[in-house]
Amino acid sequence: MPQPTARSVEIVIRNDMAELATLRDGLERIGAELGVPGKPLMQLQVALDEIASNVIKYGWPDGGNHKLCVRISGQQDRIEVEIVDDGREFDPRQAPPSEPQPAGRRQPGGLGIHLIKQLVDRLEYKRVGGRNRTVMTKQYVSDRRSS
Amino acid sequence: MSNSALSIEQAHSGVVRIVALKGRVDSTSANDVLACLSNLISEGEKAILVDLGGLLYLTSAAFRVLLVATDQAERGAARFALCNVIGHVRELFEMGGLLDAFTIHGSREEAVAQLS
Repeated sequence: MPQPTARSVEIVIRNDMAELATLRDGLERIGAELGVPGKPLMQLQVALDEIASNVIKYGWPDGGNHKLCVRISGQQDRIEVEIVDDGREFDPRQAPPSEPQPAGRRQPGGLGIHLIKQLVDRLEYKRVGGRNRTVMTKQYVSDRRSS
Repeated sequence: MSNSALSIEQAHSGVVRIVALKGRVDSTSANDVLACLSNLISEGEKAILVDLGGLLYLTSAAFRVLLVATDQAERGAARFALCNVIGHVRELFEMGGLLDAFTIHGSREEAVAQLS
C-alpha cells in the first residue's frame, strides 16, 4: 500500500483556550499519517500551542467571540502551519527576547516566542487585509523509508 | 485524546509529596497543574517534588506555572523541586534558559533524599 506523502487539514477554532486541543489533535493525526518522528512533531506541537495561545490571549483586548483559522499542511519532508486571525497586529518575529531574570523573578512574557524561534525552521509573518498571517515551517526526516 | 492529554498522579514518600505529571502540559492543561500545586502549598505541605519523567512536552504556559509555584512555595516556606527532567523536556528547559530557575534533581530517589 503506498504511504501518503502529503496531507492537509483546515481547522477553525474559537478564541477559547480549550479549543487548542482540537489543533493539537489535528497536528498529531497528520504527523502520524506522514510518519513524522516524535521529536520534530513535539517541537511543532509546542510552537503551535505558543502561537495560537498568544493570539487567543492578546489578539482581541476587548474580548468577544472571534475565530482563528489554522491550516496544517504536511509533505514528506516538512509540515507547514498557517494561522490566520483578525486580532490586533502582532508580528512574532519582532517580539522582544525574554530577558534572563534571577530565579523566581522571571517575567515570562516573551518566553513563548523565544521558544518558537528555536523550535521551528522558519517563521514568517504578514499583515494582509486586516489579518495576521503567521506561518511556521518544520522540517523532518520521515520514520518511513521511501521504497 | 483531548481528555487524556495530561494526568496528574500524587504520592507520598516520607515527608515528601510527589506530583507526577504524565502527557503534555500546554495552554489547556497548565492551570490544572497550578491548581494542584497551589493547593498542596496552601494545605501546608513542606516538601513538594514534581516528577516530569512521564511528560511528552511542556509549553511556556507550563513554565509559567512552575515559576509561580516556585514563588508560592518560597512564600509558604516549602521546599519545591523538580526531578527526571530528561530528553525532549530537558531540551525545552535549555531552550528557555530555565534550567537554573528551578531546583532540579536527577532521579526521584535522589530528589526524595535531598528533600527529606
